Amino acid sequence: MSKNKKKVSLSYRLLWPIRNEKWQPITIPVFSILISFIAAAIVILLLGKNPIIAFYNLFQGAGIFPKASYAGYKSMLTDFLSLLNAMTPLIFASLAVAVALKAGLFNIGVSGQMLVSGFLATIIVGYSGLDAFIAKPLVLMIGIVAGGLMGGLVGWLKYKFNIHEVVTTIMLNYIAQYVISFFIHMYYIDPVSRQSKYITEAARLTLVDVELANLKMDISLGFILAIAIAIFIKFLMDKTVVGYEIKAVGSNRNAAKYTGIKVGKNTVLAMVISGSLAGLAGVTYYLGYFASIQPKVLSNIGFDSIAVALLGNTHPIGIIFSSFLVSIIDEGSTYMSSQAGIRQEIASVIIGLILLFSACGAYLKHKVSSLKEKEVERKDSES
Amino acid sequence: MDTIIIDGLSFALPLFIMAIGGIYSEKSGITNLALEGFQGFGAFIGALSAVLIANAYGTDVENLFYVALLFAMIGGMGFSVIHAVLSIKFKANQVISGVVINILALALTTFLTTQINALVFGAASDKFRLGVSERFTIEGLADIPVIGAVFTDVYPFQVIIIVIAIFAWYVLYKTRFGLHLRASGENPHSVDAAGVDVAKIRFSAVLISGLLSGLAGMCFAYSISAQFSSSIYMGYGFLAIAALIFGNWKILPTLAACLLFGFAKSGGTFISQALALPSSFTDLFMILPYVLTLLLLIFFSKSNQAPRALGEIYDKGKR
Repeated sequence: MSKNKKKVSLSYRLLWPIRNEKWQPITIPVFSILISFIAAAIVILLLGKNPIIAFYNLFQGAGIFPKASYAGYKSMLTDFLSLLNAMTPLIFASLAVAVALKAGLFNIGVSGQMLVSGFLATIIVGYSGLDAFIAKPLVLMIGIVAGGLMGGLVGWLKYKFNIHEVVTTIMLNYIAQYVISFFIHMYYIDPVSRQSKYITEAARLTLVDVELANLKMDISLGFILAIAIAIFIKFLMDKTVVGYEIKAVGSNRNAAKYTGIKVGKNTVLAMVISGSLAGLAGVTYYLGYFASIQPKVLSNIGFDSIAVALLGNTHPIGIIFSSFLVSIIDEGSTYMSSQAGIRQEIASVIIGLILLFSACGAYLKHKVSSLKEKEVERKDSES
Repeated sequence: MDTIIIDGLSFALPLFIMAIGGIYSEKSGITNLALEGFQGFGAFIGALSAVLIANAYGTDVENLFYVALLFAMIGGMGFSVIHAVLSIKFKANQVISGVVINILALALTTFLTTQINALVFGAASDKFRLGVSERFTIEGLADIPVIGAVFTDVYPFQVIIIVIAIFAWYVLYKTRFGLHLRASGENPHSVDAAGVDVAKIRFSAVLISGLLSGLAGMCFAYSISAQFSSSIYMGYGFLAIAALIFGNWKILPTLAACLLFGFAKSGGTFISQALALPSSFTDLFMILPYVLTLLLLIFFSKSNQAPRALGEIYDKGKR
């Protein structure tokens, strides 16, 4: 009996950092991140490398810590700016997933929506030679509209014909991938790179090789927009009727129906918002981070974003932080593999582990509260 | 015409067996988006063991098909334990657990494939070369017009799949275990009241889905791609999910959906070849199965009904 008591209080003590329920939305993800880094460290140790140095290299590569030496026109700042550049589409995509999740919908088609909007923006604006002041807003507009329409279609099919959104989005992913690959091969192929032809600088949402203070940096214009949109989505979801109704539909469709909320309208609306965000992810990816489209390839971002949205508790601000972390690991992995001699692929394993452990968040929460009850009982029985 | 049937079947049947795994899991109440990851990881374990055994005993990899199949099933089942533990014991969100498992499977197998290639074989390669499994033709039956194509150039795995599928159908609809499994997805509380452990039923259902997915993944690796690499993650797992939702979570309609996918896929390839169009037109015909599915769903999905307790975490105390 006494042994059992000791065991309870030991695990209770081990879990002390995540005991406070108020802070759990932050402490539990941090806890899972820590555990996964420990797990990754064990893997790296097994490979016979030093995990501390490997992780330090990871952050160096992402521009968080300074590297030992830099090539011409490069510095920690340029690395950090490319990190932000890479992170921008991920924020948008994760927001797209989060908004759909709030409405109880599972948007697995983010990558398809990204591809369609990126492709349309590329052929309409990317090759047009329009002036930057017209081209850039136009690209964003096309992204929002194309993505929104495609998302809306999914919502409409769900509401009108009861077609499961997972099936629709999977089918649309394939259709988009093949149709766009056909058009790229027929009309827009660059024979050397085997990708679509590069878009004009004016239409690109990332300013490339800007020379400033003897540095050449990539400045992502979309990043500022991403932060602004994240704050806007938080406002929309927490403070407006639209957000309230979407969340009501997501938490209980029938209850929402009885209170007079139009379930169909909100299903479509949530998918339109989600699609437009995916569209923004598409244009910042294909016309920002990249300047061309590789045919027949769906970007991984669409799937990664599902997990990133979860890691950020489907909270817009949380998503900014989780995208930041995942992007650091992604971006820093090249430098890590060249410096520490560890395969670059380990980076995606680390990300996978982080997501795996964060999926256990609910269990940790449950465990902590049950341990708390036991602890209270124990104290009661002692006194 | 014959090639449409031959190629269609050899694609549809692995898809079908994977979808059956999905049906088991979802009928028991566990949403399973992890099929994609299961089939990839299963195929990885199968391919790895085949390559290692071939290396150790100096045999030809192509002859180790059955060994690979066995290990793939074990591998898929082993990997599915993660989904089972996460979604049943740890009460994680099942959709999220599934997605995470897919990401982890891709990351782990890509990493391990290059790492093992470098360590064991000293080669910088991101794939295990497997070759194509041999095929056989049943003389006599193959001469029947049209239907004869079913018995022509058959992969051995197609026979295995059909046998397993019939057995799986029997277990799901005709045995006590199958009854308990289906009830766990509709009304877990009544199953519990009848003295059956819901968690145990669901756990085994997820393991079955992992086992069958591993089998399917290995079949794809030994036929379509002739190797194991990250190209195994072509989204066939998601296609299987689409098929089972299309089939309204029932085995026979799901078979129809898989056959539709298979024949539309091989048919599209056939048409574009017959018309002698430039290769980029193939892409246009590749959308055939997906467009057909969407159109058919518009007519057929009004009455679709998912298992009632699907995706819900079973809580004994909840009413």
